[in-house]
Amino acid sequence: MTGRTPQEARRRQTAALVAFLLVQTLAVVFFIGDVIGDLREDPQSIHFIFEALVTGALTLGVVFGALALRRTIDLLRAQEAALDVARGALSDVIEAQFAAWGLTPAERDVGLLALKGLDVAEIAEVRGAAQGTVRAQLTRIYSKAGVSGRAQFAAYFVEDLMGQGLKAQA
Amino acid sequence: MVAPLESPFSRARIAPSLWDPVIRISHWGLALVVLSNAILTEGGSTLHVLAGWIGIGLLALRLLWGIVGPQEARFSAFPPNPLAALRHLRQLAQGRPEEYGSHNPAGAMMAYALWGLLAVVIATGLVMTGGRTPMQVAADQAAVASGDWSALVKPGESGDDEDENEGWKDAAEEVHEVAANLILFLVLLHVAGVALESRAMGRNLVRPMLTGSDKDRRK
Ligand code: HEM
Ligand code: HEM
Repeated sequence: MTGRTPQEARRRQTAALVAFLLVQTLAVVFFIGDVIGDLREDPQSIHFIFEALVTGALTLGVVFGALALRRTIDLLRAQEAALDVARGALSDVIEAQFAAWGLTPAERDVGLLALKGLDVAEIAEVRGAAQGTVRAQLTRIYSKAGVSGRAQFAAYFVEDLMGQGLKAQA
Repeated sequence: MVAPLESPFSRARIAPSLWDPVIRISHWGLALVVLSNAILTEGGSTLHVLAGWIGIGLLALRLLWGIVGPQEARFSAFPPNPLAALRHLRQLAQGRPEEYGSHNPAGAMMAYALWGLLAVVIATGLVMTGGRTPMQVAADQAAVASGDWSALVKPGESGDDEDENEGWKDAAEEVHEVAANLILFLVLLHVAGVALESRAMGRNLVRPMLTGSDKDRRK
């Protein structure tokens, strides 16, 4: 998978938010402890109002930090769910199309491996078959599919993915 | 051809393959705090109090997360229910425990017991130290070490209420030790429970608490 872009960024954002939240929480705890200590030593302190305000602001900061983190995690999960759907849907699409072209089980396997980007030698190795056999199978697949070759064969499904992918995001 | 977008919550009956970072950090952080204070640090030392204060932060963060966190982190996802906990233990003994979207009911009771006892240990620790921050404890100990015993007398502690204060502190010390030992005992049960549950479920429950696995994350 080369799903780097928005997801990687969100993961990094999550890590940053978590680190920030952790430091913030610890800081608030120590600050509040300090304020209470000061207060007991000198309850009339004019510091008090100021420190109470700062304490309130810091605590609110922690709560908002937690909420922001929660939202980021939710978004990340929604994206992963959408990707799952897209992946599941794509394999459904491929399966249905292979059936419609009348590919044999062996041809379906070879077709899938070709879609995953393996070349003839690699497919032959995976399947423990001769390269000549694989080449012949690919030729039959392309002819059943009515495409000129591997690039068009792959494009057939990519087009489907792009059309559906946009809808799945909505 | 594309199925409608599934909400992550519709799969809530499967526990996460990776717990969220707040749960993981607070879990292992609190575990470290407990183990270090029970075994490594000397009761009342600066390090002991410092670890305890870090524990306050971690516990507070986890409790906040129990309200605003994602679905499976919320208290509502694993409500305390002793009857359900017993039922789950019975199922576990029969080797076919039910799946839950968050902690199982027995694990949930364990989590609340450990958090509650941690709160008790922290509160009694604060009573014993008069609520002094680790920085103050360090300063006081440095002062005492240099021969200035006056650091031990806190403002507001002198005079009539001193005896009463000492009574509270003695009680707190007792409770502190008992609760700390109880935590250690429960942690043994907790780890045993995790092991049993993992065997019965046929999957490793610890991995989602650590990093998850690549396979899980892709799924
Ligand atoms: C969070 C987990 C904690 C655990 C497991 C823990 C455990 C213990 C244990 C087992 C002792 C007895 C040591 C002994 O008998 O010498 C002790 C003593 C003590 N603890 Fe903690 N503690 C924790 C947190 C705290 C906190 C948060 C504070 C203070 C803010 C604190 C302050 C003290 C003090 C002052 C003593 C000395 C009591 C004495 O005078 O003997 N502890 N702790
Ligand atoms: C002092 C030590 C420990 C304490 C206080 C502790 C406490 C807890 C708590 C409170 C939870 C609930 C987590 C949450 O919802 O935030 C939990 C869950 C969990 N703990 Fe621990 N724990 C300790 C040690 C360990 C150890 C050593 C292990 C590893 C064997 C472990 C494995 C787990 C697992 C796997 C879960 C998730 C259980 C599930 O799948 O529902 N814990 N623990």
